[in-house]
Amino acid sequence: MKKLISVLSLAALAFAAGCGKSPDSSSGSPESGKKLIIALMPKSKGNAYFISCKKGADKAAAELGVELLFDGPTDPDPAKQNEIVENWITLGVDAIAAACENKEGISTALRKAKAKGIKVITYDADALPDAREFFVNQATPEGIGYTLMDEAARLVGNEGEFAIITASLTAANMIEWQKHIEARRSSKYPNLKMVALRPCDDLKDKAQSEATALLSANPNLKLIMAICSPAVPGAAEAVKQAGKTGKVKVIGLGLPNENKRYVHDGVTDSVILWNTEELGWLTVQAAAAVVKGQLKPGDKSFKPGATEYEIQGDSILLGKPFIFNKSNIDQFDF
Amino acid sequence: MNTDNHGFKKHLLRHETVLLLVVAVEWFYFNSVGPRFGSLDNSFDILRHSVEIGLLALVMTPIILTGGIDLSVGSLLGLCAITFGKLWRDAGLPIPVAAGCTLVIGALAGGLNATLITKLRLPPLIVTLGTFSLFRGLAEAITRGADTFTNFPAAFLFLGQERWLGIPAQAPLFMIVAVAVWLLVHRTTLGRSFRAIGFAPEGARYAGLPVERRIAMVYVLAGVVAALAAIIYTARLGQAKADAGTGYELFAITAVVLGGTSIFGGIGSVHGTLLGVAAIAILNNGLVHARQPREVAGMLTGLLLILALSSSVVPKMLASLRARRQISSANIHQTKPA
Repeated sequence: MKKLISVLSLAALAFAAGCGKSPDSSSGSPESGKKLIIALMPKSKGNAYFISCKKGADKAAAELGVELLFDGPTDPDPAKQNEIVENWITLGVDAIAAACENKEGISTALRKAKAKGIKVITYDADALPDAREFFVNQATPEGIGYTLMDEAARLVGNEGEFAIITASLTAANMIEWQKHIEARRSSKYPNLKMVALRPCDDLKDKAQSEATALLSANPNLKLIMAICSPAVPGAAEAVKQAGKTGKVKVIGLGLPNENKRYVHDGVTDSVILWNTEELGWLTVQAAAAVVKGQLKPGDKSFKPGATEYEIQGDSILLGKPFIFNKSNIDQFDF
Repeated sequence: MNTDNHGFKKHLLRHETVLLLVVAVEWFYFNSVGPRFGSLDNSFDILRHSVEIGLLALVMTPIILTGGIDLSVGSLLGLCAITFGKLWRDAGLPIPVAAGCTLVIGALAGGLNATLITKLRLPPLIVTLGTFSLFRGLAEAITRGADTFTNFPAAFLFLGQERWLGIPAQAPLFMIVAVAVWLLVHRTTLGRSFRAIGFAPEGARYAGLPVERRIAMVYVLAGVVAALAAIIYTARLGQAKADAGTGYELFAITAVVLGGTSIFGGIGSVHGTLLGVAAIAILNNGLVHARQPREVAGMLTGLLLILALSSSVVPKMLASLRARRQISSANIHQTKPA
C-alpha cells in the first residue's frame, strides 16, 4: 500500500510541478474569451533560426492579442510534425503556420486541418500547394542576387575585380542566384569584373583554401562574395590569415552567429540573409488575417503594419533580404 | 500485517494495477485541464499515433521475456517502409502484393537477427545494435537519403488516416496483434517457455526446451510485426522515407519496461506493456492539451520509468535494511548483559 501511495503521490507531484507554470494566462477557461489561437511550427524546435522567428511571432501575437502555440519536433522522426498538426486539429486552433520538413508527408496532415476549417499557411519551407492557402516566402532568388551584387558594388565603389565562392557548380539554387547576380552586374555595374567562380562543396575548410588560392592568383582582387553559408567564415579566415583585412572585402550569404567575429574584426563587411524575426512576425500576421478574412486568395498585397508586402500568386514575399553588419549583427542570435 | 486481505493487497500492489492507476490519474488530470482532451476525436488520435510504437512494444515483450532485446525494430520499420514504397512504385506491384512481400522481408530481417543470435551465440544487444545500423543504412542507401515515396492511392491511405466502422482504420489490426500476442504469451506453452528461457536458459535447455528455436521465433515475429508497423506508418503519413521510425525501438523498450517486464527476462506481461504504451501516449498527447511544452513528456516519462522501477526495488531494500537492523539490535541485546 505504501508503495502505491508513494508512486501515486509522486506522479501527482510531477504533474503538479509540470502544470504549475502554466503559460496560458488567458484565464481559467480558454473557451470563454474569443481569443484566436495560432499555432506556429518550426522545422525543429531547438534550432536558433526558428527561435529567432518565434521572437517576431511573439511580437505579432502580442500586437494582435492572439494566443500563440509554438511547437515542433525535437527528434528526427518524420511523423512528428504530422502528430503535432493532428494534435492541434483536435485542440481546435484557428490557424496553423508550418515550416515543413517533409513536404509530402506533412501535406496529408495539413489537408486534414484545412478540411476541418482550420486556416493553414506555410513559411520558410513550403508544403504542397493544395495543402495550404499561402506561403510566406522569405526570399526570392532575384532578391538575393540583386542584394548581393548591390552590396558588393557599394563596398568596392562600382569598379574592380571580384570572385565568387559557391557550394557547387551544379546546385540548382546556387545557379539560380548566380544568374541574378550576373544579370544585375551586367545591367548596373559593367565596370565590375568577376574573375573566378570556385566551388567549396559546402565545406568551410575547402572555402578557406579556395579563397587563399584566389588571393594569390588575383592580386587585384577587391572582394570575395561567398554564396553558401560555410564559405563566408571560410573566406574571411583566408583573408585574415593573408593579412589582407580591409584590402579585400568579404560579403556573403550566411548566418549572423558564425560571422560575428569576422564582422567585428572588420574582415567581413556584410552578411546577407533575411530578417528571421520579421519572417515570424509576418507569418503570424498573415495567419491571423486569413482567419479574420482580411487576407484572401487572389489578393495582390498585404499590409499588416507600416510596410506593404507583395503577393505573387499565393506567395507572400518578405521582401528584400536583410543585411547584417557591424551596427546590427549583435541583435541577432542564430 | 493482516493476513486476511493479503491476497487482495498483493493484487493491489501488482505493477500493472499501479500503472493502471497512473494511466487513470493522467486521464482525469488532462481531462480536467484540456476541454477537448476527453473527446472521442482525441482518444482516437492517441490510439492512431501509438499504433506503430504499440506494435513494436507488443512484440518486444516476448523478446525481453526471453532475456533478449531488439534494437533494430525502428530501423527495420524504416527499411520496410522504403522497400514497400519501392515495390509499389518502381516494381509496379499492386498494394496488397507489395504489402505481402514487405511482411516477408520483415520476417527475413528478423530471421537474420535470430540466426546471428542463436547460431553464432552472439548477445542480442550486439547483434541488433549491428542490424540497427545495417537496416537503417540499407534504407538510406536504397533511397540515397533523398528519394521519398508518395502519392499512394486513397484506398491505401484509408488504412492510416480514415475511420472504419467509427474507429481509426488501423485500430482493428492493432487489436488483432495485441490479442494474438497476449494469447501467445499468457495462454500457450510457448509463452511459458519464453519465461522459462528468460529465467534460466540453461535450465530450460536441460528441461528439454528447444531454446534456440523458441528464441528465433520471437525475433522473426518482431520482424514481421515491424513490417506491418511500417505499412501502417506509411499509410498514416502518406509518405515512405528512409528515416521513418527513428528512435522507435527505444520508445518500445521504454513502454515494455514501464509495463513491468523485467529487462533480465522471465517476468512480465503483455497487458502491462499495453498500459506502458498508454501511459506514454496519453502523457505526450495530454501535455499538448494542457498547453505544456512537449519536452516535459520526455522528462516525465523518464521520471515515471525510474519511479516504476524503484517502486519494486525500494520495498525490498527497506525490508532487508529492517531485517539487518533487527539482527544487529538483537546482537546488541545479546552482547549487553555480557
